[in-house]
Amino acid sequence: MYSTGLNTNQIMRQVIYALALGVSASYIFFGWGIIIQILLGVFSALVIEAAFVVMRGRPALESINDGSAVLTAVLLAISIPSIAPWWIIVVGVAFAIIFGKQLYGGLGSNPFNPAMLGYAFLLISYPLQMTTWPVDFSAFSQAINIIFNALSFDGLSGATRLDEIKTGLSLGNNLATMQVYSTSQAWINAGFLVGGIYLLARKVIFWHIPVAFLSGIVVMALLVAVLDSQTHLPVQSHLMLGGTMLGAFFIATDPVSASTTPKGRLIYGFLIGVLIVVIRNYGGYPDGVAFAVLLINMTVPLIDHYTQPKVFGRS
Amino acid sequence: MIESVVIFSGLTLVLGLILGYAAIRFKVKGNPLVDQIDSILPQTQCGQCDFAGCRPYAEALAKGEAQINQCPPGGQEGADALAELLNIETLALNEEHGESNARHVVYVDEKLCIGCTLCIQACPVDAFVGASKVMTTVIEEECTGCDLCIPVCPVDCIYVREINPTLLTFVPTIPGEAHV
Amino acid sequence: MSSQSYPGGVVIANPYPVDQVKIIQSPLPDKVVLPLQQRIGEEALPCVEVGDRVLTGQVIAQTEDHFCVPIHASISGIVTAIDKQAIPHKSGLKATCISIESDGQDEWIKSQGCGSDFLHCDKQTIIDYIQHSGIVGLGGAGFPSHAKLNKAIDCHTLIINGTECEPGMMCDEALMQHHPREVIRGVEILLHITGAQQAIIAIENDKQEAYQSLLMFNHNDKISFAQLPTKYTSGAEKLLIKALLDVEIPSGGFAADKGILCQNVSSVKAIFDAVIDKRPLVSRIVTITGDALTPTNVEVRLGTSFEQVISLTDVNNQAHDYRMGGMMMGVDIETTQMPICKITNCIFVNNKTLKQPAKECIRCNTCNTVCPIGLLPQQLYWHAKSENIEKCTDYHLSDCIECACCSYVCPSNIDLVSYFSFAKALDKKQTADQERIDIARDRFEFREYRLDRNKEERSQMMAEKKQALKEKMAKDKEQGLEQTDKIAQAMARVKKTKEDNV
Repeated sequence: MYSTGLNTNQIMRQVIYALALGVSASYIFFGWGIIIQILLGVFSALVIEAAFVVMRGRPALESINDGSAVLTAVLLAISIPSIAPWWIIVVGVAFAIIFGKQLYGGLGSNPFNPAMLGYAFLLISYPLQMTTWPVDFSAFSQAINIIFNALSFDGLSGATRLDEIKTGLSLGNNLATMQVYSTSQAWINAGFLVGGIYLLARKVIFWHIPVAFLSGIVVMALLVAVLDSQTHLPVQSHLMLGGTMLGAFFIATDPVSASTTPKGRLIYGFLIGVLIVVIRNYGGYPDGVAFAVLLINMTVPLIDHYTQPKVFGRS
Repeated sequence: MIESVVIFSGLTLVLGLILGYAAIRFKVKGNPLVDQIDSILPQTQCGQCDFAGCRPYAEALAKGEAQINQCPPGGQEGADALAELLNIETLALNEEHGESNARHVVYVDEKLCIGCTLCIQACPVDAFVGASKVMTTVIEEECTGCDLCIPVCPVDCIYVREINPTLLTFVPTIPGEAHV
Repeated sequence: MSSQSYPGGVVIANPYPVDQVKIIQSPLPDKVVLPLQQRIGEEALPCVEVGDRVLTGQVIAQTEDHFCVPIHASISGIVTAIDKQAIPHKSGLKATCISIESDGQDEWIKSQGCGSDFLHCDKQTIIDYIQHSGIVGLGGAGFPSHAKLNKAIDCHTLIINGTECEPGMMCDEALMQHHPREVIRGVEILLHITGAQQAIIAIENDKQEAYQSLLMFNHNDKISFAQLPTKYTSGAEKLLIKALLDVEIPSGGFAADKGILCQNVSSVKAIFDAVIDKRPLVSRIVTITGDALTPTNVEVRLGTSFEQVISLTDVNNQAHDYRMGGMMMGVDIETTQMPICKITNCIFVNNKTLKQPAKECIRCNTCNTVCPIGLLPQQLYWHAKSENIEKCTDYHLSDCIECACCSYVCPSNIDLVSYFSFAKALDKKQTADQERIDIARDRFEFREYRLDRNKEERSQMMAEKKQALKEKMAKDKEQGLEQTDKIAQAMARVKKTKEDNV
């Protein structure tokens, strides 16, 4: 007999539902692009996962029913620019599912976060498409044209705020001359924050990773701001720009690739937060969530080994 | 140009000296691989592998003169364990060397024994107790089930008894594989 | 009296609650089947034969050592068979049992005991009565009570385990409600034997009637009560000791080492029956519950078939799933043609449902948050699955109490405990196999050495003989006796003998 708590399928679905608020915020500011990307991504994910599962000799319907492939696709679709060409999301989802999940043995066996693996692959392989972000609302027909017909519209695409700041800093300007805040990003992050709190309340995720993640960002940001506040972003910018909240509540909390012991999760989250700030300030990319998560995924077995909880009856 | 030659020659010399020193200082006596193989083999000493016992088979395996699938008492698990140790592909058991049966022991039908001691001489682990013209019996805990005694008995009084799992030695099976 | 708790464990609501906890007295069974293999120890040897008439309470089988308890006939009648029958064990294997057909008279044999004047009885004598009456831990572990008592002769604290933490079970609760006098008196017997300074009766706080019942009958200063928060695994001995006394028994250690003795409340009542009423253990209370009937308790003779016990309830006519033991730690069984054993505390009869399939482990670690021992069931699962027993031992597999809290909360419905029992059994088998192989290798090598040694001794002996012969020949030569002379003399002797005979 099993408990009346959530089972695996329900957990995946709850996470997808919790993303709704952040996605709505993105739609309000930037239009239909994100919806189309999500639909494309989900469709490709289902097809690719079903194909691979059948190749591995397992029943297809049960596997795609668990929602993990859909979740990967949705997370990836949210992470990429919503006006990226259609093949970007398809290729990204394919890579994430095939190389990030199926080749390791399916759900539960992958050491890396599949969505982030897909994102990293896309970023490195297609830097132009992956750094062309929307700057204004695109209507449905405009979005379809940009995504499928590769048309471009003036004034609809550009760099993200973090990107601009980084470019500005590399040119030698200091922060006082730049805008370190972005309304759209702040609302999107707030949307994901609320979704994350919902997940905590429903006990779908545990508090350790988000709290440690955000603490890592805060601590590191404060540290580097002390060094030079002119060229290093303040803490609130780090929290409200880029993929911070999405990372804290939805990406780093992926149970399969995260650390498993309670103490280990605190260390895991903290290290990711620290690394994100390091990459943002000193790395080559404007946002470091994906790479930070992947790098710390590699250290999970080590973290798990050294943070085993105390066993009853053993000192 | 000349600097690179000098640097690399110097590096080669230093590294070579270190390796030579390590080869002498940390030399391992004996052949630990043979011991490792021998510890996997079931020690039945039956000779079904066509060698004179488990240790000669282990030595042949270490030298690469035998296949890993020649040991029926070890079963497929034994062959797989050997494959893992030697870092090679596992093979299915070679049926020419005999069938892999469940673990069994032998016992003597005491009404028929004539005390010829042929079985005592045949047993590789001295599991028989007896003497000339005196009745012989098997120490069950010592019997490895190699069956070398069965063909030599002139009155065919040695029989096989299977060891079945009891309530205390039962090993359950793992539940079926999870889907996907 | 409030008490600390322990980390882990799950709070599970009683799936089949009842308004009133009752005990139905089962009528005498027509036939009983008594297995010779008890949960702990070697298989007993029968001391009766087929066709013998036995009396209720008569010893019908015992082991050679003094560690195990004897097996008694639970009814009077004729022994009809001593053969292999189905017993409730997860392996499904059959075991040798003694079957007795009842003669309907229930004639008891005269047994030994102290009577009500147990305080003047010698302590060791009382423990011997307990052993001779066949009393084992009736909470489910089946450990011989006398062995536990012998180890805990000078303990300072007695803990009486009335927690009954498995959800749905109420046999101990029924006992405490309906037989409080016997329970308290049994505790006093234990206090007398062990010389303990205090006895704590632990009850979960949802069993208020049982608590009140016992409270009414207790007039002994040394006996106190502790009400624990209702949580599954509060009844596990080491965890209970931690919750009540804040003492952590080390892994592999015993409570007796720290001067604590823990006994289940049903075992205590059985001790009362044996010592004061002079009745060996022949019956017990079993909870029958499930969604196919109204839950109740039945007091039944050991060896009665499950089928007969279930027929005393209002069970419906549908197809059923059966389970012996609790909801969490019990064993699913196929048939009800099995006998009630000393450790059968509960039978579940549920309407047949489809079992939920298991999915992949998503490493969510919910299992670790509920493990009362603080293990990492998820790691144990991965390693048990790949049969890597060494790694399982690293993660302290032997400390697992198989409480099934982890299986209960797993979102992927993985039956984790079955992996752990598999790994433990495999570990036991591999260790036994390895010992056997090492002994065989030693014997083989010794034999080789023995044969070589014999050969050497033989060749040495031959060499010495040859040497002695050479010396003798040399000596003869000195004395002038040539070998040829000797031969000529021998031939002459032979010729003479022939001539004599002709």
